[in-house]
Amino acid sequence: MECAVEARGLVKVYPGGVRAVDGVSFCIRRGEIFSLLGPNGAGKTTTVKMLATLLRPTSGDAYIMGRSVVRERGEVRRLIGLAPQDLTSDDEMSGWDNVYIQARLYGYPPGEARERARWALEYMGLLDVAGRKAATYSGGMRRRLEIAMSIVHRPSVLFLDEPTLGLDVQSRRHLWGLIRSLRREGVTILLTTHYMEEAEALSDRVAIIDHGRIIAEGAPAELVARLGGDRVHIVMGSPGEAERLAGELAARGWRARAAGREVVVTVENAAEALPRLAPLVRGAREIRVSRPNLEEVFLELTGRSLREGEEALDSFRYRVLARRIRR
Amino acid sequence: MLDETLVLTWREVRKWLGRRGVLVSSLVTPLVWIALFGKSFNLQALLQPPPGSLPPGSEQLVRAMQEALRRRILELFGTTDYFTFMASGMLVVFSVFQGMFSGVSVIFDKRLGYMERLLSTPTPRPAIFLSRVLATLFRVTVLDTLLLAAALAMGMHLREGVTPIDLLAAWAYVLLLAAALSAGYATLSFYAEHQEVLFAASNLINLPLMFSSNALFPLKQMPDWLQAIAKANPVTHAASLVRHHLIGAPIDNYTLSLAYLTALTAALLLAGLYLSIRWMENR
Repeated sequence: MECAVEARGLVKVYPGGVRAVDGVSFCIRRGEIFSLLGPNGAGKTTTVKMLATLLRPTSGDAYIMGRSVVRERGEVRRLIGLAPQDLTSDDEMSGWDNVYIQARLYGYPPGEARERARWALEYMGLLDVAGRKAATYSGGMRRRLEIAMSIVHRPSVLFLDEPTLGLDVQSRRHLWGLIRSLRREGVTILLTTHYMEEAEALSDRVAIIDHGRIIAEGAPAELVARLGGDRVHIVMGSPGEAERLAGELAARGWRARAAGREVVVTVENAAEALPRLAPLVRGAREIRVSRPNLEEVFLELTGRSLREGEEALDSFRYRVLARRIRR
Repeated sequence: MLDETLVLTWREVRKWLGRRGVLVSSLVTPLVWIALFGKSFNLQALLQPPPGSLPPGSEQLVRAMQEALRRRILELFGTTDYFTFMASGMLVVFSVFQGMFSGVSVIFDKRLGYMERLLSTPTPRPAIFLSRVLATLFRVTVLDTLLLAAALAMGMHLREGVTPIDLLAAWAYVLLLAAALSAGYATLSFYAEHQEVLFAASNLINLPLMFSSNALFPLKQMPDWLQAIAKANPVTHAASLVRHHLIGAPIDNYTLSLAYLTALTAALLLAGLYLSIRWMENR
């Protein structure tokens, strides 16, 4: 099997001793969309930074189309495109200038750089507004500009770090369509996200990462299938009550566990199980049934929600992002 | 590498020129300084005896005293017009102050994520550093030219028989000093996390550099200890060279000043290249 991106035992220990990435290995096949899914601080961005030659791994190595990110950094940089988490375009300049400069930095002479810039802007649906200052763009347009800047040299591998952070649902779906169409062009895409829907909608395969380690890997449907069956969520008045009910149900042979005020019961088929389950429950505020998704895979594996720690995003960066996107 | 350096310099310049009112806001401080400070200290007035205070028959003595005083002033300042002296010094000081903006641009690119994007491209690393210095040199050229034009309009006197070569030489020395400062600030900014570090450093460095030099007052009337400091201060050497060419002020040792300035700038550029590339490639 040929890997477009292959990580082998990547470790990154930051000065001060924080082990942000703790032995990560995976293989992304050519032409695949591969997602790193995990909460903030799980090590997604650090992993991408090592793959994009921004950080040197403390140990381990990774190969982009067979080139080492440790020993062949120059070659790797020609093969990859990176759209960082932040909005990196200069809002004082036009979309055109932003993309054109990027093309020049990949070594294209002016004429060719103009062709590349035109292609990238057109691909991202920004050619009409290319002359306007990026500051006047909407949040979705800014994100598309980020990708246009990253594909101007037609990279073999594209890293998208939280590409839809802060976008509304509509802009997010629009961007998903564009990302899928890039894959059809043969671009291998590594996506990091903490939006479960995004990973589920886009990815051929997903690696769930937590505390710097990959804790599960596979196609989204496959990961969900491993959970087996439906979920019944019983919302109680307090975590204490939930704890007690979970204990009672478990004693009667149900697969139940408490998560906050909620008791989650795993059943093969909710429609059949509910009539037997309901009489056992007293004091429920709400009962819901769900088909499992990646969010629950994560919950099941870590006991925590993906959204926890969302506020951990660097506050300065968040303010900048929020300010830029609001326009 | 030259290509990428110029492209990145163009990016800086483009952003700078795109900011509305940037020329006015950059020039207002030095203009106010030379207008208020340069015009308020009137050396010519020192040469005028108070009217009606002279005892009869002393005119000849007074004239002799005036002449002696005039020569002393000329010896110290190289001109009898303080405004001319101060304005030529401000051209140099202003280039010191502009150096900080090389650092500001590095810090903002780091904080806004552009640096990451840039570092993921094959752009030669020296270009990333050198473009910041070049952009500052461009800004200094534009701003100092406007500042000189304004000073001339306000009554600054260039030396008699000033040639285009003099102007070019003066600009070369201004830029040499600006390159040293901007290399220093840019280097610092690769390692500093916040702009506050940079502002603190520039507050610590800029004003002492200005006051412990001959930019505002001549060297020879300073106490010995201050003269010793001023002689090691690159601003003194740049100001002496610039004054020599622009207003014809005598210079102690042209070659020494030129060599000192060149060596310092080369050292800061080389150190900056080494340290910034180390930061970029070894994180």
